[in-house]
Amino acid sequence: MTPLVLAYGAAGGWGLAALIAVAAGQTRRGMRACCVPSALGGAAAAGGGAWALISTDTHVVTLGGAATSGAIVGGSLQLQLTSLAGVFVALLGVVAVAIALYAPRYHKPGRGTGLYLAVYNLALLACLTVLTAGGMVTFLVAWETMSLLCYLLILRHPGRPGVARGAFWFLALSEIGFLLIVAAFVILSAKTHETELGAMAARAHLVPGGWRDAAYLLALTGFGFKAGLVPLHVWLPEAHPVAPADGSAFLSGVVVKIGVYGIALFAFRLLPGGGSWPGLLTMGAGAVTAAIGILYALSERDIKRFLAYSTIENIGIIVTAFGAAMVFHAYRQPALWAFLLLAGLYHVANHGCYKTLLFLEAGVIEHTTGTRDMDRLGGLIHRLPRSAVIAFAGTLGIAALPPLNGFVSEWLIFQGLFQGFRTGSHLIAILIVLAAAILGLTGGLAIYAFVRGFGIPFLGMPRTPRAARARETGQPVAGPGLLALACATLAVGAPVMLAALSRAVRTVTGAALGPLLLPGNLTVIPAHANFSAFSPTYLAVFLVAACAVPLLIYLAGRPRAASTSVPVWDGGIVSFKPRMQYSAMTFSAPTRVTFDALYRPSVSVQRASDDPAGRSGPVHYESQVTPVFERYLYRPVIRAVEWLAGIIRPLQSGDVNLYLFYVFAVVLLAYLLGAV
Amino acid sequence: MSREDLTMTPNGNVGPAGGPGPASSAEGGRTPASGTGDVARELRQRIAGQFGRSLHIRTLDTGSCAVCEQEIRLLAAPHYDLHRLGFFFTPAPRHADLLLVTGPMIRAMDVAARKTYEAMPGPKVVVATGACALGGIYPEDPFVHGDAGKVLPVDVWIPGCPPSPLALLHGLLVAVGRLAEKTPGLTFLADGETR
Amino acid sequence: MPLWFARGLRRGIVTTRYPARPDGSSASLPTPPAFRLAALTRPVADRLCAACPNGALRRENDVLIFDVGACTACGRCADAAPEAVVPSGQFELASTDRSALIKRIPLAGAGR
Repeated sequence: MTPLVLAYGAAGGWGLAALIAVAAGQTRRGMRACCVPSALGGAAAAGGGAWALISTDTHVVTLGGAATSGAIVGGSLQLQLTSLAGVFVALLGVVAVAIALYAPRYHKPGRGTGLYLAVYNLALLACLTVLTAGGMVTFLVAWETMSLLCYLLILRHPGRPGVARGAFWFLALSEIGFLLIVAAFVILSAKTHETELGAMAARAHLVPGGWRDAAYLLALTGFGFKAGLVPLHVWLPEAHPVAPADGSAFLSGVVVKIGVYGIALFAFRLLPGGGSWPGLLTMGAGAVTAAIGILYALSERDIKRFLAYSTIENIGIIVTAFGAAMVFHAYRQPALWAFLLLAGLYHVANHGCYKTLLFLEAGVIEHTTGTRDMDRLGGLIHRLPRSAVIAFAGTLGIAALPPLNGFVSEWLIFQGLFQGFRTGSHLIAILIVLAAAILGLTGGLAIYAFVRGFGIPFLGMPRTPRAARARETGQPVAGPGLLALACATLAVGAPVMLAALSRAVRTVTGAALGPLLLPGNLTVIPAHANFSAFSPTYLAVFLVAACAVPLLIYLAGRPRAASTSVPVWDGGIVSFKPRMQYSAMTFSAPTRVTFDALYRPSVSVQRASDDPAGRSGPVHYESQVTPVFERYLYRPVIRAVEWLAGIIRPLQSGDVNLYLFYVFAVVLLAYLLGAV
Repeated sequence: MSREDLTMTPNGNVGPAGGPGPASSAEGGRTPASGTGDVARELRQRIAGQFGRSLHIRTLDTGSCAVCEQEIRLLAAPHYDLHRLGFFFTPAPRHADLLLVTGPMIRAMDVAARKTYEAMPGPKVVVATGACALGGIYPEDPFVHGDAGKVLPVDVWIPGCPPSPLALLHGLLVAVGRLAEKTPGLTFLADGETR
Repeated sequence: MPLWFARGLRRGIVTTRYPARPDGSSASLPTPPAFRLAALTRPVADRLCAACPNGALRRENDVLIFDVGACTACGRCADAAPEAVVPSGQFELASTDRSALIKRIPLAGAGR
């Protein structure tokens, strides 16, 4: 019994769920019936992934025919559940369970729903196959299948505005990324003469330096398209808002992590021995991604676009950790290499949990109020109390506030980065600390962004009647609730998680981190004992106890006299309207002023007349943030492609005589070449 | 209630003879704490105990010419230095103990004045200062009430136009019970003359 | 910055000691009037009432009703009848009772 068997169970569950969805997914009973095997498959995957972390069994299983090494096209699947993939598989499982609990209450029964759920379960299956791929061909086929199925997921409601555009951006960038990934794998396999990943890793030292760097660069860029590294992230804010809530949750919680898995695969398993520049490049890309991601998140009013940019920020943090790990490896610091890999994987697990939770809650908000615009919401904590509490747990996690799990993983990453001085090179130490500084800026902006992200919709007064009428009955609570519980468990039980992860990291890197990391007493020590120490469990207990002290003081000493409750002090305004509250854009206005070099905001003001008295009619104020990457990077490329296509178009003139001439010319050419 | 009504009140006599007057001090009657009974004395002691050494003041301008505000502003300046007495200005009525009202209470400030008063947590004291707020300058008409006591329950009245900072200090100290009020004993007769 | 500091040290403490000790500037404050009973005849009282711009002074039969709360210490009553009016020097006029600020002063020659 190996972890791979549990993965088979998961695959079976999801396959069954897809069948049930196609057959019976139109009705609510059918949806619920479909989600049962989906959830069971998720549980199996979670168990298998967790087991894979601590097991060292990594042999490759070949299904369906012998695979001949060197064959590019084979009819077989090569599967292998490695420790590195264990975290991702476990995350996939937990997210699958949560979404299975959420989906029956979220979707409206109908013909499209059945097909959608089938596609979703097949996408889960494809993700699992990517993560358990033991051979190059299996990996690539499963990757492409996953991309296509996710494209179909996004296209759930093709008639709605923005859906086709978002899905198209996703598909286009996925395909470009896929080309680059294929190129990277082809280089590796050609130089090592292997197609099985384990064998490629064993023979990676045979690859000459230039080719190895090229392969890594291609892999970073190709997987970066999927993961969402800046400037390859453009599809995320387009596709996430228009997909259904559980689809967005799946994309952000799992699919971008599979891009991260790809980067980790090349960085730590297939090509671990490079110089320092691949690591520096990765670290730099991650830091820039994190900063730009959160800065753009602060200028978004749409909750799901905001969460999409926040995903980009967190991917940046994870990739920074991986890059710094590679740098430490190049400078012969095995403990820090393993530690930062561990911290990055832990952040993958944490982010998967709370981002999925937040997207599911965004779906609840959209359902109950009919809008995703923060400026049309407000006071939802009174109307949707349970959802508000669960969303608050997710917000605490993603803003990296103690005692939840985001804080623990970011602390680990920072502690790893702060030990840059151990590399011995001043320049490298400065660069690593610079990355840490950028992550610090990101962390501060993330708190700011999530105070805004939670406060504007949930707190205050409702800004529109629809927000005031939202009702919680019938909304899914179990799925997001499970994820909130997972977040709390990951935080309080961090020492246990980290122990399991350290065993996985030891299998991958060979560095035994266990005794250094967790000397007992539930304390975590970052790689070197003379630096710092921290106990997430005790911190959580202490914070809860510390909150109890003012509560006890209040209960003991509160005044016995009757108290009156009066309205909120609003400055004495005669008629206070909820629209007079902070709006999402005014709350984040200071960042738009400070970082206007990045945002390049454009403001247009139109009045009905130029009467300076101001009472001449409505004033139209519009402010826009320039989409820098789309305008200055993608649009020129798109225009170049269109220009090229325009030049080539005359070839396809529709004239049969011209086509006959082409045939004649090619036959002539072939004859001449054959004769030569 | 107009100024004429006020002058008709039979309570113009000096001396400590009177007990608690009409219940509502908004009608210009006496506050519960201005009497001499045991209840009044205990009330004064409790007010002094609560606020005597630490008081937060919220000023409210109900349409004044702002000269009273200038004198109030001088209280925080080094010469008069309010802070050495433990008094502070605060803009938030939620943090305030004492509401210092100036101006003739224009009707446009009705809602704001009531909201400010209600936003203050009890116990609270209201002090009206300046001849405008005491009803001395403006008669009641469609734009002004003329008298701060028509909208808020005023506890202490400080005359002056404007009241000098020393008069304001005296008034605030009377409001918290650190000084006794002198007005009942004043006759405004030239030296040594008696009635 | 250092000059400002030195200047401050030279000037010494300027904060008033009020209420522990009387403040020297209080002697020059404009204050409400005090009346000489002997000089307060009916015509003088009428002159005073006409001079007051606020109506703080009103005559009712043989009683001069003086509303201290309405007095702005403008000094016109003193100008109109200097023999009957002197500055009272009273500035500590706070009262918990609005009606205690309305003083009734009997006119000269009226029955005591």
